[in-house]
Amino acid sequence: MPRAQKFVGRQEIAGVLLRGALALLALYAADAAATVQVVTTTTDLQSLTQAVGGAAVEVTSLTSAGQDGEAYQPRPGDLLRIKQAQLVVRVGLDYDLWLDPLLGQAGRAELRRGGAAYVDASTSIPLLEIQGSSVVPGGHAHGLGNPHYWLDPLNAEGITANILLGLARVDPGRTQTYERNRQRFLQTLAQRVRDWSERLRPLQGVALIAHHNSWPYLARRFRLRLVETIEPKPGVPPSPAHLAKLAALMRSQNVRGILKAPTEAEAMPHMLSARGSASVVTLAPSVGAVPTAKDYLALFDYNVAALERIAAPVP
Amino acid sequence: MNDMLQLLWIPFVATVLLTGIHTYLGIHVLARNVIFVDLALAQIAALGASVAFMLGHPPQSMGAFAYSLAATLAGAVLLAFSRRASTRIPQETLIGIVYVVTAAVTLVVVDKSPLGAEHVKQMLVGSILTITAADLLKLAAIYAVIAILHWLLRRPFLGASYARDGATHWGWDFLFYALFGMVVTSSVAIAGVLLVFSFLIIPAVIGTLFCRGVRGRWLLGCLAGIAASATGLAASFAWDLPTGAAMVCAFALALVLAGIVHWVGRTAGVGKRILGGVHIAGTALLILSAAWLVLQPRADHPVLDAVDAVWPGARGAFLGAEEARELAEAESAAGHYEREVARLNAKERDSRWQGAPLEDEDLRRLSSYVQSFNEMAKGERFVAREIRNRARARQRWILGVPALLIGMAFWFARGVAGIRAAV
Repeated sequence: MPRAQKFVGRQEIAGVLLRGALALLALYAADAAATVQVVTTTTDLQSLTQAVGGAAVEVTSLTSAGQDGEAYQPRPGDLLRIKQAQLVVRVGLDYDLWLDPLLGQAGRAELRRGGAAYVDASTSIPLLEIQGSSVVPGGHAHGLGNPHYWLDPLNAEGITANILLGLARVDPGRTQTYERNRQRFLQTLAQRVRDWSERLRPLQGVALIAHHNSWPYLARRFRLRLVETIEPKPGVPPSPAHLAKLAALMRSQNVRGILKAPTEAEAMPHMLSARGSASVVTLAPSVGAVPTAKDYLALFDYNVAALERIAAPVP
Repeated sequence: MNDMLQLLWIPFVATVLLTGIHTYLGIHVLARNVIFVDLALAQIAALGASVAFMLGHPPQSMGAFAYSLAATLAGAVLLAFSRRASTRIPQETLIGIVYVVTAAVTLVVVDKSPLGAEHVKQMLVGSILTITAADLLKLAAIYAVIAILHWLLRRPFLGASYARDGATHWGWDFLFYALFGMVVTSSVAIAGVLLVFSFLIIPAVIGTLFCRGVRGRWLLGCLAGIAASATGLAASFAWDLPTGAAMVCAFALALVLAGIVHWVGRTAGVGKRILGGVHIAGTALLILSAAWLVLQPRADHPVLDAVDAVWPGARGAFLGAEEARELAEAESAAGHYEREVARLNAKERDSRWQGAPLEDEDLRRLSSYVQSFNEMAKGERFVAREIRNRARARQRWILGVPALLIGMAFWFARGVAGIRAAV
């Protein structure tokens, strides 16, 4: 009965396939249960959380590379991601205020400020440009402090400490693994910081202008001299009087570089550089802002290399 | 001063070019009653550029230009036919819909590429200060070609613009919008949407107020536009204002002045009219601020603040010697704390690159001092405001009530005079 045999054969194949699919599904489910689902607001925190969590965590960033983390408009999918997250890591201060309504909507007590699944990475970071919470901020000087603190690589110590505490709360079984990962990462980082500082030494005292006040932490760590910003208030184009002041500064202080982020307008820096001997340097403010800045360490590799070109003697 | 001239002369020449072509096109736009068409066309061109960017053409490349141009031409077709479709719905409605939908589609398209978003913003915001000599030459070349076409084809173009709905061939409408789109796309990238709208509409309105012929309207509009541009540029330099916004305000001022001149020129008994207007405005201001002072002595009082600023003794008259001393002390203490904050902030900034670096602990200590000094300065400002409020509370009855009575007396006197004149 070849016909019947063939029929049985088909059934068997279908059965094997079904069992296989079920096994795969179970495996996937087990895997999903094993890895800790972390949501961060920015790619920088995503990279640092990945460094601490290693293979045990799966990290998603709500803003994608190069998107403005300050002016982000949440998508419906973000709420779903937050609802399913075991840990949420944010920049804090006045930076990612758009996260608060999402956390409220998610309706989980542990995601509230101070909850077990909530990490404010800015906790205990030595902040720059704090003016007081009740002081009306002038320009980018947020009253609570300038929020671009991840751009000091040594602040990663404090940031990863906050992340480690959060991971230890939601996944206490693997605390030791997380601690080991963090120590290894910080060792590599310390080595690199020594190297980066060495390479940027020739830049000490060289006057630079920034498009926007995003780099005070980078300046403090690598002893850069930022004399003025092109846009004193974000989004408001500079007045001619301010531009004339910049032009005068560029001569009197011998400004050599104009720093800008990839998303900032080109016209103003290029016009200024055409009037002096300064070169326009595109720096990455976040992981992924330029293609080579793939992770937190590569971010500084890229920025240091870009800054080095200013110090190089003009051919 | 030298820096200012260097910075401002190219923008000024650019504004002369922009005024010339936009005033002429503005006369057409007013005749066609499609006031917001420039916004729609600029947005359509930006959509074309953002689609090009998404497909991998870098900004300012031939590819981006081709997509932009294609989008503008498609927009011109749409606008030419919208006039035909506008027998029952005003054409401006369709233009508004085109604008909003294109803006939304652009947002969706650029969402995945943040650099694209910045590029689109650049296309629509522009910055007249950053225009270079090379940009200027390019602009002059484009405008010259379009101006010559408009001159050669002035009869059909003007005929089409002034024609009643449907009484013209749609091809002329299409050509008009296509040329118009090219002008607007290039000018919006330089001057921004707000300023281009002002260039287009306000000089044309001023010209239309005073002249009947197209040539007269254009000449007068150009003069007004160039004067307003120069005023705006100078004001933006003198008072440290964003240039585009300052220029738009200067255009508005020019329109207001033109409106007053127009009104004065058309009415008999000018002197009496002006006196009457000043009388009404002054009396109304007096009654309103006096009533506001009586009702809410602790609120903001712009008129009294102005008096205080010009003549500080006015407030002192309502304060005792002790209060006046307290006020002076609070203001000087606030100044002291603010200077301390500035000093500490400067110290921190300098320590980033010279001398011994500030350790984390020192930084935290400095920050806490800055915060306390800021709070203390705020406290002293609060004390000064409280003392001022005490003076205001006394002014409430001594100044407010008599001023209110005087204002009302003036108002009724005028009313009686008016009735008597009518009788």
